[in-house]
Amino acid sequence: MSERVTIGPFHPELEESVYFKLSANDDKVVTHVDLINGFIHRGMESLVTQKNFMQNLILTERVCSLCSNNHPFAYALAVEKIAGVKVPRRAEALRVVADEVKRAASNLFNLAMLAHLIHHHDLMKETMETRELMQDLKEIIWGNRMDMSANTLTGVKYDLDDEKIDLILKTLETFTPKLASLTEQYEHDEKVVARTVGIGVLPKADALRLGVTGPVARGSGINNDVRVKAPYALYDELKPKVTLRDAGDVHARAMCRLGDITEAVRMIKEVVKNLPEGEIALAKRPHIPAGEATVRVEAPRGELIYYLKTDGTQKPVRMRWKVPTYTNWEALKVMILGSKVSDVTLILNSIDPCISCTER
Amino acid sequence: MNKIHAMTEPLQASLQYAYTLTEDSDNYGNPVLWLKLEDKRDLLNAARVVANLGGRCVTATAYKTEEGHTLIYHLDIDGILLNIEAYTTDHTIDAITPLLPSADWAEREFREMYGIEPVGHPNNERLFLDESLMKGVLNRYIPLSKMMLGVSESDILWERVEKEKRA
Repeated sequence: MSERVTIGPFHPELEESVYFKLSANDDKVVTHVDLINGFIHRGMESLVTQKNFMQNLILTERVCSLCSNNHPFAYALAVEKIAGVKVPRRAEALRVVADEVKRAASNLFNLAMLAHLIHHHDLMKETMETRELMQDLKEIIWGNRMDMSANTLTGVKYDLDDEKIDLILKTLETFTPKLASLTEQYEHDEKVVARTVGIGVLPKADALRLGVTGPVARGSGINNDVRVKAPYALYDELKPKVTLRDAGDVHARAMCRLGDITEAVRMIKEVVKNLPEGEIALAKRPHIPAGEATVRVEAPRGELIYYLKTDGTQKPVRMRWKVPTYTNWEALKVMILGSKVSDVTLILNSIDPCISCTER
Repeated sequence: MNKIHAMTEPLQASLQYAYTLTEDSDNYGNPVLWLKLEDKRDLLNAARVVANLGGRCVTATAYKTEEGHTLIYHLDIDGILLNIEAYTTDHTIDAITPLLPSADWAEREFREMYGIEPVGHPNNERLFLDESLMKGVLNRYIPLSKMMLGVSESDILWERVEKEKRA
């Protein structure tokens, strides 16, 4: 007997709207997966061609909330490439700081959701509490807990003085032991291990075939981190150490995210301690000629690519972006098939889906 | 430098029609290759080379031009970005998904946004937009007021809801 199970489009265990149509056998094992998307499609790619380059900076920040910093970052890189300008070194450093703070907060949020889905609420609270340190930092320095508005064309909108650098370093000092404790718990806690090891496995061959990126790829032993493969900003010098795992399960992906956070802390420290002197943005706004560019950055969930085509006017002719979830999504079908129905939302969470980004 | 050569050599050898291959880089010196195909039939040849080199399709961009549509496939081979540009005037292009499964969504998306048919694509299902919406929504301007009322041109959605209710 096959049973039809539907999850979504609206469901307490889903962060965003998506619709699963599953078939399960008597043992509650999934035998067929059908995924339906499109609930949050807003036609943003059409909208950006009707706004000018400065307005699009604001619009791209609102594609998504958890990786909101990466969108204007990549967009600014694309505009700067076409305009042929070089961003001041201090601005590059500040872009890295903003991005890594955001990465740490975003990954911790996903880990907290994992703890929530396995009903380990003490761990969830601890994770959210740790994330709160990063949230406080965002609120104090950038004035907002989600949209940091750090990037502008040719540089950044914020600066760090000694007092703020001191605050960052002090926060990281409190943050580091908490992160170490979390890493230990996610690695060895009985409840976490029982519910995540061997669950939602994505074999390396499938990961390669589907072109997955970010922690989903790294959890299956593939390193295609843009910060390593095609370094931008200061990542060439910072040399991020990526965490690779071979198991390809929910646990492996979670551990890759924790590794990313540890590296984020190291890089933020390194950058703010040696912050280059100089301007935070070019004084003169550049002319944006006709041209096209593709740029990539590493968002918390993986590779983010922006394509921009301009014709010398104040508005883009075409702008397209692809977020990590866009390719990671198909991998869900591999992960979910053969899993228990009760693990489906946990597996979905393990790719850290960002549906608003994906559907635009 | 050799890495790029190892990529461009088989690529150039595979192409049967005219093309332009330019080497560019981003602001940080990472190589970005642009391959402009004069004939869209060469797309499969190029995709085959990328698949053999272990590359993946990152995504594809489509946009409308006066004569038809331009398509740009963004591919990645071990960190090197290869953009392959082709154009179509008859709303069709050979699907590369059978060669590079990572192109699945990208090709389905331009099918429903621009009405360009990826010929030979294994998946005919809609990606984001409901079946009741016409293909190629980005080809024309749709006012927000109409969008909010539903761009549906038939009762297909309600018929389906009714049918599921009866079942």
